[in-house]
Amino acid sequence: MMSFHRLRHALARILIAAPLLSLAGGSESCWSQAEGTGMSSTDRLKTISGEGIFRQICQGCHMPDAKGASGAGKYPALAGDAALASTEFMAITLLQGRRNMPAFGGNGDVGVFFTLPTLNDEQIADVINYVRTNFGNHFKGKITPAQVKALRQSLPHS
Amino acid sequence: MREGASESSVTRRELLSMIGMSAGGAAMYQAMTSLGLAADSGYKGPIQLTGAPTGTKVLVLGAGIAGLVSAYELRKAGYQVQVLEYNSRAGGRNWTLRGGDRYTELGGFTQQCEFDPGLYINPGPWRLPYHHRGMLSYCKALGVQLEPFIQVNYNAYLHSSRAFGGKPQRFRTIKADYHGHVAELLAKVVQTKKLDAAVTAEDQERLLESLREWGALDNDLSYIKGPFSNDRRGFEVDPGGGLSGKPVFSEPIGLSDLLSSGLWQALPLCDIYDMQSAIFQPVGGMGMVGQAFARELGPLIRYNAKVVNIDQDERGVSVTYEDTGAAKTRQTARADWCVCTIPLSILGQIPMKVGTPMAQAIAACPYAGSIKVGLQFKRRFWEEDEQIYGGISYTDLPISNISYPSSGYFSKGKGVLLGAYIWGVDASEFTAMSPAERVAKVLDYGSRIHPQYHQEFDNGIAVAWHRSPFTMGCFGMWTEEARSRHYEDLCNFDGRIVLAGEHASYLPAWQEGALMSGLDAIDRLHRRALAGGSAA
Repeated sequence: MMSFHRLRHALARILIAAPLLSLAGGSESCWSQAEGTGMSSTDRLKTISGEGIFRQICQGCHMPDAKGASGAGKYPALAGDAALASTEFMAITLLQGRRNMPAFGGNGDVGVFFTLPTLNDEQIADVINYVRTNFGNHFKGKITPAQVKALRQSLPHS
Repeated sequence: MREGASESSVTRRELLSMIGMSAGGAAMYQAMTSLGLAADSGYKGPIQLTGAPTGTKVLVLGAGIAGLVSAYELRKAGYQVQVLEYNSRAGGRNWTLRGGDRYTELGGFTQQCEFDPGLYINPGPWRLPYHHRGMLSYCKALGVQLEPFIQVNYNAYLHSSRAFGGKPQRFRTIKADYHGHVAELLAKVVQTKKLDAAVTAEDQERLLESLREWGALDNDLSYIKGPFSNDRRGFEVDPGGGLSGKPVFSEPIGLSDLLSSGLWQALPLCDIYDMQSAIFQPVGGMGMVGQAFARELGPLIRYNAKVVNIDQDERGVSVTYEDTGAAKTRQTARADWCVCTIPLSILGQIPMKVGTPMAQAIAACPYAGSIKVGLQFKRRFWEEDEQIYGGISYTDLPISNISYPSSGYFSKGKGVLLGAYIWGVDASEFTAMSPAERVAKVLDYGSRIHPQYHQEFDNGIAVAWHRSPFTMGCFGMWTEEARSRHYEDLCNFDGRIVLAGEHASYLPAWQEGALMSGLDAIDRLHRRALAGGSAA
């Protein structure tokens, strides 16, 4: 998490006037709260897994049917993508990001003042296993949280 | 005597012009600074490119702010310019949604904007700070009319769902009470002689006097209910006339409640350099800037052109593009040089003949998500019921902002406000929703600040930037580490290709960054062209 000072510094460089600063005593740098739960959006994110993560994050770009989309560029389909044969490829992509796709591993200073979604080892394993066995995918095998953890530790900046 | 007044000496304008022609922008800027003309923003005043080698062609990829300013200035310098643009309009993220507009985001979700005539939202940039001198100068030159953007409104709200029973507080009361309590506390510290070692007796007197002024303290240096505090925070019953005009004083919020509310976090936002007043918006929407450039450039811009390949050799650049219409016909454009302003989120997917350093730089930049939602209401209840004229209310709810229109005050009929400006974790969640779900959620959240929402709602439109077909994101998020490793490679020429855009600036997401990066790129391009067209 960014320090308050750092947050202010970052704020000054970026376009937005949203006061997403940490509440006194709060543990997150996001001020925002999800309705009814009494938890910050960041805290609430920690409570979901597998399908929930796909519905709340992944489908934003990869689309609800996991078929991706195409405009000036494209978001790749997760349905029927041969690259999904490798759980390691998926885990590394989630942990580190890939090109324009942000990292979801919580890689420290992202140079912006808002909190990016961060997934723990169990969530990363969960969503990978969900995507590999849904949307017409029938990939064999599963990745475990321990394997994600090992990958996380082997990567730079994770 | 004022400079330039003597007929026998060189006028200041002539001098600047001479320096500009012979030595390029940097020398021009230094000269202007020494003459006291230029402030410390990066903008160097009108760029002076003259004498393009005859018949030199430049391809500009993307008709956003960086591409438009590049094309505009290169043509002026004598280059043969062609612009390829994916959209059927110019501006890129410089964009305004008005009634009648249709917007289809990635995934095929289509929205029809049903705002009344004259009402709009800016899904992308919406403000022009006073020190973004490049943008302001081009607006002036292109005849884009500007008006004040109300950034600070003392009568708008600060809202926390976890404080004051979820009841929104007026900005002025939080500001007055925070300053008042802090001033009183500091005055007490001074009076208990705790600062004697650090501050002289004379300065302590001055400090106490300044705290009294700054914090609206009474004669006893206390911040309490009464005429001084109410002069800042407002009254329970405002002063009026006649027998019924006696004011009733309001009670300041206690220090502990104020601190635990967290609402003080929103107070310094308007002090941030990029948010300070004066700050402007184009009359009729930010998209007026892109439209004005498009009018200037006319047929130089080829719309509905999707770039699919970028090739180069020692003699020039070849760009293949596909018509986005049904026919999908492909053509190849050839030029001596290329200014590529395509967002890195998209450029990273286009086959492109550049070396490893630039290719790695293009691949190193993730894009942020962000959401804006415009809501049309049957009447301007924020003005009629709550006396909020422009400005922004801030909340800890995921919508984060409610921004009231900085134009059309007191008008009858419908009104459009910005119902949400969403970042981070919440942006992911809102991007993943259908547009109709986003609007419905934003209505629910906003109704906790303005109970009139549901009854007065007319229609809405939601733009999630990760689903924008032409950017696939809001802006490039450079970490300091990634920037230090890749930024120079991103900005340096690779052969005959140079990149520009907000992603190639130190002003991420701001139009001024895109504009400055365009000017920087074409200044270097021009020097190369003048040097004989060598790509090295």
